Amino acid sequence: MAEEFLLTAEPRTIRGKQVGAMRRAGSIPAILYGSHIQTPLPLKLEEKTLKLVIAKAGHNRLIKLTVDTGAPRLVLTREVQRNSLTGRIVHVDFQEVSMTEKITTPVPLVLVGISPAVTRGEGLLIHGINTVEIRVLPTDLIPEIEVDVTVLESLNQSLFVKDLKVGDKIEILTPADEMVAKVVPVKEEVIAVEAPVAAAEVEVIKKGKIEEEGAEGEAPAAGGEAKEAKKEEKK
Amino acid sequence: MLMPKRVKYRKTHRGRMKGKESRGVTLDFGDYGLQALQPCWMTSRQIEAARRAVVRFVKRGGKLWIRVFPDHSVTIKGAETRMGGGKGAPDHWGAVIKPGRVLFEIGGVKEETAREAMRLAAYKLPIKTQFISKTEAQ
Repeated sequence: MAEEFLLTAEPRTIRGKQVGAMRRAGSIPAILYGSHIQTPLPLKLEEKTLKLVIAKAGHNRLIKLTVDTGAPRLVLTREVQRNSLTGRIVHVDFQEVSMTEKITTPVPLVLVGISPAVTRGEGLLIHGINTVEIRVLPTDLIPEIEVDVTVLESLNQSLFVKDLKVGDKIEILTPADEMVAKVVPVKEEVIAVEAPVAAAEVEVIKKGKIEEEGAEGEAPAAGGEAKEAKKEEKK
Repeated sequence: MLMPKRVKYRKTHRGRMKGKESRGVTLDFGDYGLQALQPCWMTSRQIEAARRAVVRFVKRGGKLWIRVFPDHSVTIKGAETRMGGGKGAPDHWGAVIKPGRVLFEIGGVKEETAREAMRLAAYKLPIKTQFISKTEAQ
């Protein structure tokens, strides 16, 4: 039995910059929209519960959202805006879903097992993309896609989106050639002492590729030289 | 040390470092990272020193990504020079860092190793930083 996520929200009348005071009081602004909702509904939710539910449900689990005293609606979390420094939730988008219509959602990839090349100490497992975009009916939603990395036996071997094993009901929208995981050779970097390069030695791109264009470019270059000569005279 | 290969102009204006960073604020490559909490001009020497501190500690294993590049030329006027006479000569390169910017990312190591490596790297930097991980961000 899949875990059920419940949230309660209140309709919100506070808009714009005044939501700052609301956040300080422990409520987070949110919005609810969907193809069956005429006008998006501004909401406010208790921060503590919202944080816990979003951490568990992510973007690909259905949440039962009760607005005021109405019937619970099945929603998906869409955009979660966070403060880039503190990680605190700033705003959340919820989309109401219909159980008969297909939806597009990102699903996290979980790397399972240990690659033999890593066990031997020759390689290092590097992940590529962390999520794949899937198109599926809400009833067939999956919490994650497991990727078995034990098949990566040799160095520089990679797993791509096309190698993912999902059911027939799930359509993967992410390009098939996107890299999921790769074993790269372990390199010990030698800390060599470099000779310092002066900042002034960097090449400056000249205006209008003078040498290649020939006569057209020569005129401004000559003008430039004349100007420099004048400057030197002044000094 | 990191520096541009070619530039359009040798000298750049100083610019301003108002507000928070909006780009490069999430972990995109590794599992753990070091995030700036203050604004600064981070010189290529400081970036290199931090990189060396990480590499020296991690030894074999682990991959490091440097998420900042010093593309801002910093000019200095010579010592005992009177004011005027134009802008000074380019001296070094710096990266403009604003709060929130992810400076380094590391992958393929355990959290304790990554935490210690980032702590050592942070000592080489002129600003306050924080350790971030992919699991915490979700």
